[in-house]
Amino acid sequence: MKQDDLVIYEEQIEQIEKTLRRLIKDAQAKCVLLVDKDGHLITRQGFTQSLDTTALAALLAGSFASTREIARLVGEPEFSVLFHQGKKDHIHISLVGERTILAVIFDDRTTIGMVRLYAKEVSESLNQVLSSEKPEENRTESENRPETDSEYAASVETRLDDIFSDKT
Amino acid sequence: MASINYAFKEISCKIVYYGPGLSGKTTNLQYVHQKIPPQTRGELISLATDQDRTLYFDFLPVNIGKVHGFSTKFQLYTVPGQVYYNATRKLVLRGVDGLVFVADSQKSKMDENLESYQNLVENLLEYGYNLNKMPLVLQYNKRDLTPIIPVEELEKALNPQGLPFYEAVAVRGAGVFDTLKCISKLVLDQAKRKQLFPKREIEIKEEETHPAGVSQIPLGEQMTVVADSSVPVESQPTSTVITLVEEKPAPIPEEIIPQPLIALEKTQPGVELKIGEITGGNQMKAEMPVTKAGPTLISWSAGKRTKPKGFFLWRFFKQLFKR
Ligand SMILES: Nc1nc2c(ncn2[C@@H]2O[C@H](COP(=O)(O)OP(=O)(O)OP(=O)(O)O)[C@@H](O)[C@H]2O)c(=O)[nH]1
Ligand SMILES: [Mg+2]
Repeated sequence: MKQDDLVIYEEQIEQIEKTLRRLIKDAQAKCVLLVDKDGHLITRQGFTQSLDTTALAALLAGSFASTREIARLVGEPEFSVLFHQGKKDHIHISLVGERTILAVIFDDRTTIGMVRLYAKEVSESLNQVLSSEKPEENRTESENRPETDSEYAASVETRLDDIFSDKT
Repeated sequence: MASINYAFKEISCKIVYYGPGLSGKTTNLQYVHQKIPPQTRGELISLATDQDRTLYFDFLPVNIGKVHGFSTKFQLYTVPGQVYYNATRKLVLRGVDGLVFVADSQKSKMDENLESYQNLVENLLEYGYNLNKMPLVLQYNKRDLTPIIPVEELEKALNPQGLPFYEAVAVRGAGVFDTLKCISKLVLDQAKRKQLFPKREIEIKEEETHPAGVSQIPLGEQMTVVADSSVPVESQPTSTVITLVEEKPAPIPEEIIPQPLIALEKTQPGVELKIGEITGGNQMKAEMPVTKAGPTLISWSAGKRTKPKGFFLWRFFKQLFKR
């Protein structure tokens, strides 16, 4: 396949979350979400308890994807920033590196200019963390263990049987 | 493509329902949403026209719980089937890990099925994805209507590779879960083949350090147990109890229970695992010391179940006393 799976390691998450907390503080935002372009939520910081962040991640990725496509159709190389203005809350969406989207939700305690400034600033360090060398040994798993594999398969199957069932 | 988060121990895979307009893709997701336990799913999001036709996508996140110690999530999407919406349809395909092709079985829909299938191949190619390497399941929907195309004919037209297929009546739920189970399984198998699940390493977090904590270890497998290193040494408990569970136990004759099911194979030098009580015939408690700074590594594996020495003698006496 052309594109690799997105793999995030513990060491990366720590740094990412630290950076995002700094962004919230500096830009005085309410919360931030870091989302894979395929719509998977990577992490979030700030006041997100009341938000359905899984749905939000999918919609943000969809929204960003369609905006990019619009850009392409009108002959723009890229709209790199997307901004939605609400009555109370606003959202600023920007690209981090090649495959990650940073969404900042903020209100009138701060300004779009501040958010844009700090979002841009952290984008570079986030991108560095995301594209940093991955520890290889973490992914080793011994191969050719037919017994183990069939047992694994059986346990997955039971799980799927339990959840994906017509009985309510 | 799948997203794997080692920090949160999460894996997330994207499954897309594809197929011609009105074939029943959205209906599949609605049925799943309605039937699975609410705690395993999120809201169903539908970006649709006023006439309930999918405009961009439907989205349903499902969490099936731990597989290999990883919280495993599926993100189910549908595409808009109408020819007109190819631009958005293509966007939904981005990063897909597995596909369900929902065909409309009605006689009049054969051309639309073929056209949609062709469109799928083209759109995947544009992303550089190869359909032959992509987990794919076919669903022949609307089997309740007449006149419909015989399955053999649909197979010949849409499934020359002989991939898994299911007949379905999605409005009534028939075939919906069979289809979903099959594609989920294929996607997880693929993730496993790609070695996305890491070395079996579990962390015993504080809430798991009492007897309720269960680390499931299938028979014959090895696992490394790491004490929580984030807790300062002085406040670490001096020992922690783990429960070793043999999943999928064969029926165990009562008489054999006295034999420890799980044999300690090796530990880090200086660390001893105290074998504790055996419960339910397939679980054993073990106490693990946590006296050192940093993680304590213990490798162990489930032992082969053999009859204990003296078993026959023991049974002999048991029968003797029964008389
Ligand atoms: N008789 C019958 N009707 C079905 C079945 N499955 C779906 N339908 C109906 O077919 C219509 C279209 O279903 P949808 O699930 O919206 O179709 P879709 O594939 O999402 O369509 P698009 O969003 O336009 O791509 C609805 O009225 C469903 O109730 C089935 O198995 N039998
Ligand atoms: Mg639909």
